[in-house]
This record gives sequence, structure tokens and C-alpha cells, in this order.
Amino acid sequence: METKLIDHLFRHHSGKMISVLTRIFGLSNLEIIEDAVQDTFIKASISWRKKQPENPEAWLTKAAKNRVLDIFRKLKTEQKYLPELKKGIQAIALQELFLDSEIEDAQLRMIFTACHPKLEVRDQITFALKTISGFSTKEIASALLAKEETIKKRLLRARKTIKTKNLAFEIPQGKELPKRIERVLEILYLIFNEGFHSNKKDILVQKELCGEAIRLCKMLLKNKHTKNNDCYALFALMCFHSARLDAKINTENELLDLKTQDRNKWSFPLIQLGNAMMNKAVETSDFSRYHYEAAIVAEHIKAPNFEQTNWSKILQWYKHLYAIQPFPSLLLNMAVVCLQNNNFVKANYYFNQINPDDLAQRAYLFYGAKAECFAKMNHKKEALEFINIALDKVTNQLEKDFLEKKKLSMFN
Amino acid sequence: MKQFMMIFIGADYADLGLSQEEVQNRMEKWFAWGNKMEKAGILRGGEALNPQIRRIAGKDRVVTDLTSAEVKEIVGGYYTVEAKDFDEVQEIAKDFPDYDLEGTVEIREIMTFNE
Repeated sequence: METKLIDHLFRHHSGKMISVLTRIFGLSNLEIIEDAVQDTFIKASISWRKKQPENPEAWLTKAAKNRVLDIFRKLKTEQKYLPELKKGIQAIALQELFLDSEIEDAQLRMIFTACHPKLEVRDQITFALKTISGFSTKEIASALLAKEETIKKRLLRARKTIKTKNLAFEIPQGKELPKRIERVLEILYLIFNEGFHSNKKDILVQKELCGEAIRLCKMLLKNKHTKNNDCYALFALMCFHSARLDAKINTENELLDLKTQDRNKWSFPLIQLGNAMMNKAVETSDFSRYHYEAAIVAEHIKAPNFEQTNWSKILQWYKHLYAIQPFPSLLLNMAVVCLQNNNFVKANYYFNQINPDDLAQRAYLFYGAKAECFAKMNHKKEALEFINIALDKVTNQLEKDFLEKKKLSMFN
Repeated sequence: MKQFMMIFIGADYADLGLSQEEVQNRMEKWFAWGNKMEKAGILRGGEALNPQIRRIAGKDRVVTDLTSAEVKEIVGGYYTVEAKDFDEVQEIAKDFPDYDLEGTVEIREIMTFNE
């Protein structure tokens, strides 16, 4: 079997196995469980080189099941907390936990654990990517643009918090559930954005991260207790964004903006799926940020070409969004929207409310937009001044090339 | 194809005083058996039962709480499997791990009403 395929299969299966085994042995034994699953994969990759099993998924599930006893022995020698395994017949009950529906239940429990409010946001993302999505620390480090050491520290801290705060491995119920779902959605949204607006040099779009966020969101939607309107809206938003993933970069690996993207490359099935999800999301009139963000992207998608984009509608959605979530980046977006209509007065009204420092590493976008504003107003000197600041601030190579191109076009 | 239930009856391991090691060896056999049935595609379900018993009996509805130690034989669990006939299930039941502990497998066909 191709190494890439094995990696993919392992990654997807690892989260399942760890979740089911955690249901049996408890969160306090998470490290031992993760090691055991890792071992299974190493063994599998060695034996599969000789002969590939007919049904690799079933092979891995069986291997995980057999590891239950190994883990049990290991726990016994280490004298840690032991689940009560007193009867052979319990094997029947354990066997049930490996049914598909139960595996999904275990994975949901793991998602809620990873997104538990007692953990810090950065730790949550890291822990989720490791434990649910099966990324290696090295992959997470490169995906989140952090040092591998930092990632290891975050994992350690997350595991420690889970232990010391004695977090339960469960899907929350009752009054607590909506709040906990909100937090899960936030984390999934962040994971998606890490993929979609990647800061990573050279590889702009990390499809794997986007794919994981979508997969996990889908899992919430499949469960009747965890699905809600916000969840549908987030799923729609991710569909709409993903539909444009392939069009974001051209064959020369250059970043393309909405103006130059080949709209024929947008994925129609994903847009359709997004529309279907959006219809479900608006069944009640209680709208979240995901609703408005999806509405904005949908507006872009509706336009047959860039020139026919309904900018005033988009500005309206942004105002709604800003009302519930006053982020400085939204002011910048609103300014850019006004620029499209050549409404410089209004654009400047928004620009003036922004402190570029609040945008942190995305400050270059502010300077780039200001440059464009001046260029449109034919103030070449100021335009040049601002585009140079933007170039000075940008870190992503693709974004840098994009700005360079913009600079050239301004003065031709 | 018909569905059959294999009902497992016998003493509770804890009451027999099996060592942890032995329990694990047996569990391994249970796992192997379950996997085998699953692989053959005949396993339809199953549950293991806890050993506490509350018994309600007679016209006076006399209630008794019992532990497994007080009853010699206790139903520990069941599997449902798909098979052609009793003989086929008997063959499947050969792998039941607890015959040596005086355990019993009772095979019953699950009743279905056609129409």
C-alpha cells in the first residue's frame, strides 16, 4: 500500500481508537492509550509492507480491541487506576463499544473533552489535533506555526489539566450542553481558519486542517443532541469557503484574490451542500456569527463575476456581524468593501477606527488596503508609502508575492 | 437464515476466585470468539449482564435481592447470531470459553412472526 494512504488511514483511525480505548480505561490513562495505539500503527505498517489486509479499517479495529488486554496488563504493572475487568463475559460489552455507532459516541466525548472550557484555547486546538485527528507533534507544529517544543508543552499542559481537574469523558447534558457546543464550534472554526488562512510559508492552503474541521463538525451534526442551528451555519460557512479552496492558488502557486479567481473552479457540489445546510441553519431567527459570515461568503458566491458582487448587501451583513462581534478585522473588511464601490469617504470612516496593532500579524492587510485606497484616489506617493509598509510586515511568501504584484499594477 | 440466541449460564468468575491472570486469559478467548463471529458476519448483537439479581416471584410478588454467590447458576449474558439451524449454532458455540468452569450455553431460536 502507498505510504501516503497508510498515513491517511492511520490518522483517521487513530482518533477513533484512542477515543474508544479512553472510554474503557478513562482519561487518566490517556498517555498509555496513545502509546499503545502508536505501537499498533508501527506494527501494522511493518506487517502491511509484506501483505496488505483486505479490509485495513477492520484490521486496525481488531488490533485496537486486542490491545485492550495489553493495556490492562501494562496498567496493572504500573499500579494505576484500573477499570474493573472481572469477568470474561465483559468482553461482550467491550465488543459493543467497537461498533460504529459507539465509536462515534466515543469520538464526540473526546471532542467535548478537548474543547472543555477548563483548557486554554491554544491547548485545546493542539490537543484536538493530536488526540482526535491523529496529527503528529511535528505536523501540528508546522500547521500552527509553532515550535515542536511548544506543541509538546501544550499537550503536556492539556493532559495535566484533564487529570488535575478530573474532567469527565462525556457528552455534556442539559443546561450545560448549549454552552459547551458553542465552545466546540469556536475551536472547530479556529482549526478551519488555521487551514484556510494559513500563515505557513509557501503552502498556503492546508487542506488537511480544513478537512478535519469539516469532519468534526459533521460528527456534531450527526448526533441529535449536539446538532443545532449554529452548527449548521458553521458547516455551511466551511462548505462555502472550501468550495473556493482550489481556486485560491493558480498553477504557479500564486495567491489569487476574488477578482482574479477562476469562478469555474469553485466546487459546485460544496456550494450546493452549503446552501442546503444554510437552509437548515435559518430555521429559527437566532443568528450567530457563523450565520452572518456564511451569508457574506454566499453573497460572493452568488455573483457571476467580481464586478457584479452586491457590495452593499455584503456591507449590511458585516454590520450585523460587527454588532455581535466587534473585531477590528471586521472594520478593515468593511473598509475594503466600501473601496469596491469607490466610496472613499466611508472607507476612511472605517480605516480611521482601526489601530493596526490590534490586527497583530495581519496588520499588513491594513496597510495593503490603505495603499489600494490611495491608489484608487490617484495619490501615488501615499499609495507607495503604504504598500511598502505592508511588504515590510508580511511574513507569508505567497502573500508577499501577491503584494509585490499589486505594487507593480498600481504604477502601470 | 434464522436468528438464534446463545445464553450463557454458569457461576460468576468472582465467586470462583479466579486470579486476575486467569480472567485476562479468558477474556482474550472471549475476544477471539467475538472477533471470529464478527469476521464471519454472523454476529447480530449481545450483552453482558451484571451479577446483581432482584427476583420477583409468585402471586404475592415476593421480592428478593440476590447476589451471584447465592445462586449457583446465573445468566451472564448472551449473543445473538445468524445461522441456518441449531446444528450450525452448536458448531459456533464450540468456542465458548467457559465449559471447563461448568458453564452452559443454551441455544434458543428467536421467534419471528411472518406477516
